[in-house]
Amino acid sequence: MATADTISEISTVSTQPGAELLVVLAATTPDQLERVLANLTAAFPNEGLLVASPEANSDALPTDAYPSLRLVTIPATSTSWTLTAADFVNAYQVAEKNEARAILLLSPESGSFSSSALRDMAHAVLSAPTDLTVACYDLAPHAGLVNSAILYPLTRALFASRVRFPLAVDLGLSRRMAERLAGVAQRFAANGQSETPLWPVSEAAVAGFTIDQFDVGFRVQSHSTGPDFNTIFPLVTGALFCDIDAKAAFWQRFRPLPPARNARPMPPASSSDGAVEIAPMLQAFRLAYTNLQEIWSLVLPPQSLLGLKRLAATDGAEFRMPDSLWARIVYDFVLAHRLRTINRGHLLGALIPLYLAWVASHINITASGADPESPIEAVAQAFEAERVYMVSRWRWPDRFNP
Amino acid sequence: MLNVLTTVIQSSTNQPAQSSYGENASTWHHMSDALHQSLNRVLSLLIAILPGILAFIVALVVLTLIGMVLSALLRRGLTATKFDEHLARGRGNVDWAPSTSPTVLIARASFWACVLLGLIIGVSAFDASYASATIVTNSLLPYLTRVVGAVFLFIAGTLAARYLARSVLIEAVNAQLHYARFLSLGIKWLTLVFTAATVLDHLQIGGHVAVLAFGILFGGIVLTLALAVGLGSRDLVSRSLESHVEHPNESGFATPTSPTVGANDTIRHF
Repeated sequence: MATADTISEISTVSTQPGAELLVVLAATTPDQLERVLANLTAAFPNEGLLVASPEANSDALPTDAYPSLRLVTIPATSTSWTLTAADFVNAYQVAEKNEARAILLLSPESGSFSSSALRDMAHAVLSAPTDLTVACYDLAPHAGLVNSAILYPLTRALFASRVRFPLAVDLGLSRRMAERLAGVAQRFAANGQSETPLWPVSEAAVAGFTIDQFDVGFRVQSHSTGPDFNTIFPLVTGALFCDIDAKAAFWQRFRPLPPARNARPMPPASSSDGAVEIAPMLQAFRLAYTNLQEIWSLVLPPQSLLGLKRLAATDGAEFRMPDSLWARIVYDFVLAHRLRTINRGHLLGALIPLYLAWVASHINITASGADPESPIEAVAQAFEAERVYMVSRWRWPDRFNP
Repeated sequence: MLNVLTTVIQSSTNQPAQSSYGENASTWHHMSDALHQSLNRVLSLLIAILPGILAFIVALVVLTLIGMVLSALLRRGLTATKFDEHLARGRGNVDWAPSTSPTVLIARASFWACVLLGLIIGVSAFDASYASATIVTNSLLPYLTRVVGAVFLFIAGTLAARYLARSVLIEAVNAQLHYARFLSLGIKWLTLVFTAATVLDHLQIGGHVAVLAFGILFGGIVLTLALAVGLGSRDLVSRSLESHVEHPNESGFATPTSPTVGANDTIRHF
């Protein structure tokens, strides 16, 4: 069952004989790697850490500067912006080989995390009965919008987990959690899908493992030249929808949410540029409304289509997508993904303009200077309220819900 | 004298009437003979091919029944062994494109394979029971296979046209191109025209005329699209391209931003 703790006190990792923490780092630049290693040395000054990195054998790395760290090489993966099946397989293989009791998966930007945050995450999976620790980032109000719109609300409503960032790239795994994820990852790797993102939160929820999340502070996000939004969005949402489909037997039963944690207040959004930024998104939505009607009508019931029609007639600062409408739209797309109403690539491509409409609405709401977490909490509650709609449509699928 | 003349005249007039009556009867007899003979030929032809037709129908019906039984058995067997679940577990996230389950698809495929086999066997039986020297039967079976191939080509082409049209429509809309629907229709008709030309060529209909017509039509559609996109929507294209240049941060990865939001807040979707 998922649990949520407040920020725990700073403590050192217990060093039992044979106990070892494996820290797996993603491929990064030498400067960032040195920053991360320095951070790890500061966080775990007395413990002998095992650090696995694709650049472990690099000549440019001054290994003498980190005597408490034991560096091993791990194969690099081609995807740098999220953890994929290959990452979990590689991490578990190294952990098994070196008999590590827990794994800490860190992104290249983890050099900006506080030492206490790293210690807390490691401590939770080593000494406390926590199987999965997930980082909770301080992001700007207009950052991580896909997570706020889709990933977090769906995970919260269906898997009864308050983890704020289900696709976090900084995780702490217990040995059994790592083994479970590696097993799932192996199936994807066997089908030639090593670059598919995995969903540790839903895996832990289904397995009945304990989940915790820790505030790690501000995360410097890299200026990556990876694939564009129109490529990543279908990849991430498709992987999540497939995961939901695979775990249908779990989430159709009602499970209560764990109590809310005391999160840090987010800085309010600027009210100056909201109207300017949303214009292209509104334009994209109206263009899609004109051209994609026949595709949306295959997926959405008439009630949702009517809501979109009213939305298309709204403009500027008055543009507001009701939370219940957005929740039903996402649920209808999840169902259409399962039923293969249309080709899945086309389906997820048709979701993009609707997501942009939500973003425009969200920017309008946050432009008033309110707490950015309030509308996200409202969206998550709407997803919970519409969960009954999702379950009933899943069990009795019909194209148009009267 | 007069009596003699009358007798002579009477006898001369009686002879043509008697001979014309005889000729008429003979002509009608010949005509009816010819009609009877032609009817007999048609009937004997029909009788000759009737066994072939019967063999065709019997082969088709028998194999259709076998196909139905096989399809039902396959469906029950695969459902009992949970074939779909095993396949889903094994393929992970691989997209199973059809909306029907693998079990139903295999059952349907087996049924239609039996029907097709019945058609082929039926035509072979028809061919064997009819005179082999006839031109019609020598060309019937090969042309029938061409027709089947043409039907498959047409189905595949139609499906490809729908898929491509929808793909282009969604991609163009997400790229904020205002002529998305026009582009999608153009791609659809290009594919359909190409499919029609391929089908006609496969059926050996039209020959060079069909090829020439296809070339003109295809080239015309391409030229229309090029002119429309290049000239007619020049402003729209430049505006679309400018919007991409001015708003590069509306992508998955934007420039880093600090927690204190300033006037140049960046939208980051991930």
